[in-house]
Amino acid sequence: MRRAAPWVAAIAAALLVPFAGPGSFVLHVLILVLMWTTLGAAWNVLGGLAGQVSFGHAALVGVGAYTTMILYLKLGIAPWWGMLAGGAAAALVSLPIGLLCFRLRGPYFSLATLAVAEIVRLVALNFESLTNGPVGFLITALPPLHLGGWAVNWESKTPFYVAAVLLAAAALVSTDWVKGSRLGAYLVAIREDEDAAEAVGIDTVRVKVITLAHSAFLAGLGGGFYAFYFRYVDPDAVCNIGLSMEMVFIAMVGGLGTVGGPLVGATFLTAVAEVVRGQLGLGHLVFYGLSMMLVIRFMPEGIWGRVHRLLTRPRGAAADVALGG
Amino acid sequence: MLKLVSTVLLSAVLSSPALGQQAIRIGAPQPMTGPDAPFGDKFKKAYGMAIEEINAAGGVNGRKLEIVIEDHQAKNALAATVAEKLITSEKVLVMTGGRASGQAMEIASVCQRLKTPYLVDHPSADMITAKGFEFVFRNNPTGSIYPQAFLDFISNHPGAMPKSAAVVYDNTLFGKTIATAAMKKLKEKGVPIVANEAYPVNTLDFKPIMTKVKGLNPDYMLMVAVATTDAILLTRHAKEMGIRPRAFVGFGGGFGVADMHTQLGPLAQNVFSSAAWSGNTNDPKVKAFYDKFHTKYGIWPHEHEVEGYSAIYILADALKRAKLTGDLEKDRDAIRQALLATDMTTVFGKVKFGSWTGPLGDTYTNQNVYSPEHSVMAQWKDGQLLNVWPRTFAETSLTFPDPLAMK
Amino acid sequence: MNIQTFVQSLVSGALTGSLYAMIGVGLTVVFGVMRIINLAHGEMVMLGMFGAYWGQSLWRLDPFLSLLLWAPLMFGAGMAIHRFLLRRVVPGGELNTLLYTAGLSLLVANVALLVWSGDYRTITLSYGAEPIRPLGIAIAVPLLVAFVLALVITTALWTFLMRTDLGRAIRATSQNAEAAILMGVDVERVAVVTFGLGTALAAAAGVLLAPSLYLYPTVGELLIVKCFVIVVLGGLGSVPGAIAGGVLLGVVESLGAVYVSSTYKDGIGFLLFLGVLLYRPSGIFGVGRS
Repeated sequence: MRRAAPWVAAIAAALLVPFAGPGSFVLHVLILVLMWTTLGAAWNVLGGLAGQVSFGHAALVGVGAYTTMILYLKLGIAPWWGMLAGGAAAALVSLPIGLLCFRLRGPYFSLATLAVAEIVRLVALNFESLTNGPVGFLITALPPLHLGGWAVNWESKTPFYVAAVLLAAAALVSTDWVKGSRLGAYLVAIREDEDAAEAVGIDTVRVKVITLAHSAFLAGLGGGFYAFYFRYVDPDAVCNIGLSMEMVFIAMVGGLGTVGGPLVGATFLTAVAEVVRGQLGLGHLVFYGLSMMLVIRFMPEGIWGRVHRLLTRPRGAAADVALGG
Repeated sequence: MLKLVSTVLLSAVLSSPALGQQAIRIGAPQPMTGPDAPFGDKFKKAYGMAIEEINAAGGVNGRKLEIVIEDHQAKNALAATVAEKLITSEKVLVMTGGRASGQAMEIASVCQRLKTPYLVDHPSADMITAKGFEFVFRNNPTGSIYPQAFLDFISNHPGAMPKSAAVVYDNTLFGKTIATAAMKKLKEKGVPIVANEAYPVNTLDFKPIMTKVKGLNPDYMLMVAVATTDAILLTRHAKEMGIRPRAFVGFGGGFGVADMHTQLGPLAQNVFSSAAWSGNTNDPKVKAFYDKFHTKYGIWPHEHEVEGYSAIYILADALKRAKLTGDLEKDRDAIRQALLATDMTTVFGKVKFGSWTGPLGDTYTNQNVYSPEHSVMAQWKDGQLLNVWPRTFAETSLTFPDPLAMK
Repeated sequence: MNIQTFVQSLVSGALTGSLYAMIGVGLTVVFGVMRIINLAHGEMVMLGMFGAYWGQSLWRLDPFLSLLLWAPLMFGAGMAIHRFLLRRVVPGGELNTLLYTAGLSLLVANVALLVWSGDYRTITLSYGAEPIRPLGIAIAVPLLVAFVLALVITTALWTFLMRTDLGRAIRATSQNAEAAILMGVDVERVAVVTFGLGTALAAAAGVLLAPSLYLYPTVGELLIVKCFVIVVLGGLGSVPGAIAGGVLLGVVESLGAVYVSSTYKDGIGFLLFLGVLLYRPSGIFGVGRS
């Protein structure tokens, strides 16, 4: 860990928010932002750090969500364990996907992920004995949980908020950690020039498969959290192309390959979506599309990347932008 | 975030609430933008008209009604979000709406947790009232009730029992539920199902499926569609491919809309539509509603509008009987108690909530006990959809078998 | 299952496939020259469909006739999109361009949704009600007309690419951009024209499809996925490959629905797609560029 202290402080501060007594709707919106942060960060690990644009991450979110549901509703394993299992299952599923799709590069890789995601969606829709098909899964009541003799109140938003903070923290801290590691250096090399990376002896497929597994674990965790919090999962909700695209937008608008980008992107897009929906009565997808185009055109390093560059202008090296904090 | 309130005030009357008396707020998550927006708009119109009428007649015990519509864009997570917002921030007393079953599932879940009554007006997934949610009520029939009139017809009309049936349905909760319910009964009666084909919703080309079905030469052709376009295209391609069964039977709202006639012309002739509900224009009260709606908005109401309009009347009736104290929690429970005692007739039909067992063996909670009686089979005749079964609702005599049927 | 069923599904599959092919050709031409996968291509098809619809409902214009109006118009629109939007993004790299067109796709589809609402619309033709039945095979008239027009357009495109200077310049750039520059080809101009051409082809396919399908603002999403399958089957960048890929997909979908199950029809398409991507990235005919 490069900078443990700021992380500990930020997480502690985030955990104090419920004590300030926000209304339950405010907490709900914060939970959404944190969930989107986790999902955006999951995509960012692969798309931002390694430069591999996936259009199929919803499949991994779906695996996480379905694992959580199936473990709880069929085997009685509590969803908080289910979330972890969901992450693990998504990472596991990602291995064969990675070994197959990473034989392809650039846009070919993106198209392959799209096809994989569609196949996963068709499985979720048609493999009824496992997934309940279009009916989906509904949790009617969460199991009791005692932490040190204190019973968790599932009617309150606080336990979900705490879980969401921990998930988002796990996603961002692990991104930070990878960036500072040898693996991170390999990823930069792959992103900038894959042939050159291979030429200097980096096992690019292995590095990419490891990164995909990391990314998939986070996406699966996020999917598990979706199931845990929203309590209803069907193929439409977690396996659609729209979800994959939203993950891309969050990472892209926030700042591709930056640590804080997904948090900024999720906040920006959730807040904008809420304003647009409430005040203007417009579909927020118009604004997703527009902000996406504007960001790529005018600040391809994303909001966080731009802010970071402005703050660190004295040093202002191009490499710093690429690494982006 | 709390400031971002999008209250939809639906009538001039509403914008000037009676002095001293706060309006009673009803929350309704609907898709107002996105691909399902046309449906959200239908409900908005229907709610608006009902509320205007009730308020003009003095409101509920002197208090005005107000509907707060929030846009969920046909997304499940957003439906949960806006339901939460309506209940905790907008402090609505009772909820309705939802539009599609996925979103209704989330709304039901939130309402049950926050102890706020939710009257489902249109979503038809059996599961919504089969999970023991005591705060969730439903006026409209469940998906598995849709085929009731058809099943009644084949059992009771002489010679109508199918010798074989092809079933083509969309791979959604709606399509699957109806097809399962119909096939279960047909199998019990020993009818062979020669084709059991699920298609993805919004299929652009049914010719391949119909080519296959034609080769099987079914006695009955059953088609289920949640989307109107699928309904129309299914019929078109089935006829174009030359399938000639004794009867074409469609399930789902799409088979009953005017587009069937305007777009298919003679191809729609004699196609049956077995629906959970079908406007009985023999009834003067229903006729009056149709005319008034048409005068006000310039469109003829269908299932959706009738359901939305009736939901407001059911809620108004319960609100009249509930003793409201101003304490949100107590009032919401009082409304729930009042809904349990509902026994009335709306434009949609009779309504009384109870617990009973559905056609697929689900145990319903607070599901309208008259639902099975609402199921009606109608037939397209020269551009008009006329009720033909059960006989008590019949507007005309039925044409069976289809004159074009393969001999 | 008899022989007539087989022939019927083969014929309908090939007819529908020929229209898929036209959408694919537009995408593949653009890819060949600019190395861009235009994710907004499906929206261009959608605009063509709506063009045909409004032409008929506002001006009583025959949808097939309106081709003469919409194809040139969308050619201009495509050039403008390239000139004012894409040109500044392309130097930022392949991925930025890909994501930029994703944003454009979302924007166009959702603006259309706001303006035209999500209502599903159909075009009814006076001459389209009854299919013709040669040898007992049912063929819908609008589909047949569309097929013939698609054939004409594709032949014209082929002649243009093979016989004209601009066409040769496009092919040269597609084969090797650097060499083309050395040979004095104005690559910038070629790119603008190619993007206009791709857009016009997409819109023309939309116009032709409209009377056979139904239209709604987000229909592009469904079509673009099919389009990917087609161009990958045929080999990205290859025009004959895209034509063959389109017809092949139409036939596979049609036969798959008859002999396997409509539920898994789409799955078969995607598996085929993945298989070709992985094992024959230059397309099944080996004519594309990997």
